[in-house]
Amino acid sequence: MEAKVVPQKFIVPIGPQHPALKEPGHFEFTVEGEVITGATVRLGYVHRGIEKSTEDRNWVQNLYLLERICGICSHIHATAYVLGVEALAEVTAPPRAQAIRTLVCELERIHSHMLWLGVAAHEGGFDTLFMYSWRDRETVMDLLEGLSGNRVNYSVNVLGGVKIDVDEKQAASIRKGIDFLKERTTYYMKVVTTDETFLGRTRDVGTMSYDQADALAAVGPTARASGIPRDVRSDAPYAAYPQFPINVITAKGGDLAARFVVRINELFESYRLIHEILDKLPVGELTTRVPRRIPENEVISRVEAPRGELFYYLKSNGSEKPERIKVRTPSICNWATVMNFAVGLKLADMPMILAGIDPCFSCSDRTVVINRTNQSQVWSWEDLRQYGIKYYR
Amino acid sequence: MDITESLQTAQDLLNQWTSGMSTPDISRLDVTLAPKDLKPAVRILQKAHWGYLSAITGLDHPPLPVLPDDKQLAKEGTVEMLYHFCEGAAILTLRVSVPYSRPVIPSICEILPYASLYEREGIEMFGVTFRGTPNTEHFVLPEDWPNGVYPLRKSFTGFNKPAQSPTNPGLKSA
Repeated sequence: MEAKVVPQKFIVPIGPQHPALKEPGHFEFTVEGEVITGATVRLGYVHRGIEKSTEDRNWVQNLYLLERICGICSHIHATAYVLGVEALAEVTAPPRAQAIRTLVCELERIHSHMLWLGVAAHEGGFDTLFMYSWRDRETVMDLLEGLSGNRVNYSVNVLGGVKIDVDEKQAASIRKGIDFLKERTTYYMKVVTTDETFLGRTRDVGTMSYDQADALAAVGPTARASGIPRDVRSDAPYAAYPQFPINVITAKGGDLAARFVVRINELFESYRLIHEILDKLPVGELTTRVPRRIPENEVISRVEAPRGELFYYLKSNGSEKPERIKVRTPSICNWATVMNFAVGLKLADMPMILAGIDPCFSCSDRTVVINRTNQSQVWSWEDLRQYGIKYYR
Repeated sequence: MDITESLQTAQDLLNQWTSGMSTPDISRLDVTLAPKDLKPAVRILQKAHWGYLSAITGLDHPPLPVLPDDKQLAKEGTVEMLYHFCEGAAILTLRVSVPYSRPVIPSICEILPYASLYEREGIEMFGVTFRGTPNTEHFVLPEDWPNGVYPLRKSFTGFNKPAQSPTNPGLKSA
């Protein structure tokens, strides 16, 4: 009788701790040799109960709470919320306020995409690109600080408008900064599309076809890199996007390289839009009055965060506090996609693929490889990253 | 396809099951369904390629307090799950209500595998059982979270602080 050779099956849990990155998460990959046969995700290590907390705070207090959901895309959370509350209260912020909101949305997208570019490059071992993009990102951080006084939670929105204005001097410095970034971004585009070592890690890696992305309901740049023209800014324009329409950027490849190209092209689109907004900034008031008590109703507010569609459901009950606020962040959608399409891919590609969806992700200081005989080996995220880099050496 | 056209298509597809429809605003259509009709409704939307499931929102409707002189019977609390589908600017919401005593909704993961994360959230936050859902592990709550405590139900107002132990070994000097 012939002995049956059973390939070794490993379960690779990754996570949850990584104090240096953005948020912790835990992924468990089942692998056969190098190939992944199953994947699950477990979040909640930094679950703060924000949805519940909103029910105990008034409409104004919640603005400050919700802006702190994410340190990277804080402004977009506040924007989704204020637009929702204004719809509930049946008021509309003045055109100048809407334009300033949109301006800050795009500045935030630039800083988020450049942050991502650095993280994704780092996971692949391209630390020079990581340092370049983070150095250049400081330009946009300085612009945001110059506008709002803050680098992270800009606190630009208030219910019924914005609390900052843009004067000619600020507009000039934004134009100057954006022009510098445009030049740098042209260089990044050249690197990610022509550097053979870089393309070796991204071309045809983690490919998600149009149909897969559609079936898994991907959102944001992850969907657009697979050719799905899905962008709330264009599908259901909000704030000042009806007056300042965007061109939806897509790519056909669906692989990691396409996700780089889409995000970098989105940077160019943001630069163009910022120039346009500054050139045609409407004049007028910055705020309008919003009542303290909001009449009973429910609304859905959707906006395009840097990572994709951000979904808010708000229900009011006629009091000063909301009845229920539901927040569905784009990363949740994209987690679902990566957990489904990871099957069949290589373990060595996972650091870049996980980074490729730009999860508000964080990860994983501890990776444990357990084999069948219960011998376990502890890896850190750094070990996995190095493993991926060595695999391709 | 424009908004009205999208919503009309959705309405035509779901007409056979619905027990109530409303359009809260120009871009939205709310459709109330019985739990048993959820799966066929989602299947028909998926077959017709009508949008994608954007989120599942849970809503808790606690039982209303009954006044002593009120002749009415106490109404049981319910949990409502809202399945939001988006197609361009159009938003379709399937509303399914279940009573506290039998909070069971069929899982739609068979049709839309990516709904698993939202269903896991519904299980732990609202105590809804999704019949046939592939993964019932905690998604965001800690492993040692007590059974039967659902934080997004209105009745949950936080835990009492544990009583201070008079002899806390951690504070003893060596």
